[in-house]
Amino acid sequence: MTKIKLIIKGMHCASCATNVERSLSKVPGVKSVNVSLLTHKAVIESENAKEDDLKKAVSRTGYSVVNVEK
Amino acid sequence: MEESIEEQEINSWRIKLIWGWALTIPIVFLMYFGKLTGIELMPEIAMQIAILIFAFPVIFVVGYETLKGGFKGLVGFYFNMDSLISLGTVIAYFTGFLSIANLSSDYSGISAMIMAIFVAGKFIESKARGRASQEIRKLLELGAKKARIVKKGKEIEIDISELQINDVFVVRPGEKIATDGIVVKGQSAVDESMVTGESMPVDKNVKDNVIGATINQDGILYIKATKIGKDTFLAHIIDLVEEAQGTKVPIQKLADKITGVFVPVILGLSLLTFINWYAFAGDFGKALGTSISVLVIACPCALGLATPIALMVGSGMGAKRGILIRKGEAIQTMKEVKTIVFDKTGTITKGMPEVTDVFALGKENYLLEVAGSMERNSDHPIAKAVVAHANLKHYKDVKNFKTIRGKGLEGMIGKNKVVIGNEGLMKEKKIDLKKVSDAIKKYQSSGKSILIVASGRELLGVIAVADAVKQDSISAISELKQDGYKTIMITGDNEITAKAIAKEVGIDEVIAEVMPEDKAENVKRLKENGMVAFVGDGINDAPALKESNVGIAMGTGTDVAIEAGDIVLVKGSLEGVVQAIRLSKATFSKIKQNLFWAFAYNVVAIPLAVAGILHPVVAEIAMAASSISVVGNANLLRNKRI
Repeated sequence: MTKIKLIIKGMHCASCATNVERSLSKVPGVKSVNVSLLTHKAVIESENAKEDDLKKAVSRTGYSVVNVEK
Repeated sequence: MEESIEEQEINSWRIKLIWGWALTIPIVFLMYFGKLTGIELMPEIAMQIAILIFAFPVIFVVGYETLKGGFKGLVGFYFNMDSLISLGTVIAYFTGFLSIANLSSDYSGISAMIMAIFVAGKFIESKARGRASQEIRKLLELGAKKARIVKKGKEIEIDISELQINDVFVVRPGEKIATDGIVVKGQSAVDESMVTGESMPVDKNVKDNVIGATINQDGILYIKATKIGKDTFLAHIIDLVEEAQGTKVPIQKLADKITGVFVPVILGLSLLTFINWYAFAGDFGKALGTSISVLVIACPCALGLATPIALMVGSGMGAKRGILIRKGEAIQTMKEVKTIVFDKTGTITKGMPEVTDVFALGKENYLLEVAGSMERNSDHPIAKAVVAHANLKHYKDVKNFKTIRGKGLEGMIGKNKVVIGNEGLMKEKKIDLKKVSDAIKKYQSSGKSILIVASGRELLGVIAVADAVKQDSISAISELKQDGYKTIMITGDNEITAKAIAKEVGIDEVIAEVMPEDKAENVKRLKENGMVAFVGDGINDAPALKESNVGIAMGTGTDVAIEAGDIVLVKGSLEGVVQAIRLSKATFSKIKQNLFWAFAYNVVAIPLAVAGILHPVVAEIAMAASSISVVGNANLLRNKRI
């Protein structure tokens, strides 16, 4: 299990965060996702989820990942 | 210094706000000047075209990001707030063309007003949100920027980022300590209030740990850096609080479910509203206007923000006072807690036992020699106290040393089997305690723990150890009792000792003679009669902290046992428990207020919009006001005294 944090830009409403959460949780390997509108962070626990897949999942909902913290 | 994401967002909304209104004000003027004064500035058609020209950049340039996000969401079925605003404004804008062809009433001017109000609302909201996260930002800014390191007898000022572990740096009075470290030379008082909430300065001598960002008060300190950058105490605290701010409070679940389906439901409702009005009233323009009102009034934001914004303000307030809320859930559970269980050692008491009395049947020196030699093999705080008191130059050789958990020690010194421990252990070893029973009773009834020492089945004597009660334990417990909590102390001590201490601090009930591993079991049993909070140190009490409904872990100076508790108190004082409970309750009631208003707003406003009572502009103002009020209300939490 690894933990990864994505800093996401552009989310400015609660349904945005819900969408990002939904999209990220569909990425293979992802066990839990917690997206916070206020801290602009997605905290993801996963088994070998690919960073690229996670980034794509975020951009699919219309937002962009500006930074990745491990 | 790099701009934070918040600042970037505030700035971007500010620019949008300025341009949006710069273009919208002429539109408003054109729309209402003629109506109000009766003076016709230009022909109707020219005015319509002018409005379309002014409104275009408001919708498509100022609103570019909103439209992009909104329509991307519509296409990918990730509906969001932007989808509603996008649809509402774009449809409204194109009515301008329809109205030129006499097909509809003209809402193109309205579209610009909606967008302008939307960005203004977002600007105010982002500012208010920035204020909500202020406390955390203040923590971030606490860190020192420069350090003066000592190399070959010379002091060199360097940037904090260049500081390495094991560098020795110097801190003068009034300066911030650059990073976590250990004092190698000098002594001083250090103000640690910014990270621990403790207002009294703490004395620091050689070998003491110091925390980065705290302020040196009166002496010069030479400090060896032990932790830098992301590993420092302050960085950990900030991480912890930020992570907690992203966690969910259970009460939010319903709101989250609603925001998840909110937008598609509103889209459907808006369409139905349109069909209904068109079919029954036959007025295309009115039907369109009403459905636009429905689109723009719906506000998932207020619902979605209600909980996290209050949690953010509350946890920020806590962090400033040395109270770290690790899980949002804890503040909701706290409300239900009726019983608070305290660990004794290190929680109610200082956790630094000292030998107070020695009752020897033979020679005291011999007793201490045996006890000191035995206890030297153990890490237990009581063992350390005995070793310190005996202060031996030479230790006897101990073979086959064994710790009997929760009871004592045994081992061989020469040919004699030595046993040190409590009454239970002596009973097991069939050692007669008649000769020391009066002494035992006397010590225990004054709250002291006893160690009975026997060698080769012969009783040598009793050592009494006391662990002083922390200064503010008494006042904190009486405050908790006033607030209606049942207080229980749990300890491995024997009943008489435990009761004496409980009486001293005013605790209601005592669970004594509990083995360390059974603490969690006891908490579980107590939970049958209602929610239980457990207060203990994060290291030994981890299972009990986990078992309880709300685990409150006490930190000890520079070392925070982060993983163990739902709430972590940086400063090891029970006063922090009182504050943490008050803060949780205040935060939770703010959450409830916010959710109530957010629900009420939608429940009232949406039907009004469907009924065609609300003009789209009024609808948009109401929408913006609802999310601003939720954030503003959360900020009010900071006026509360904790």
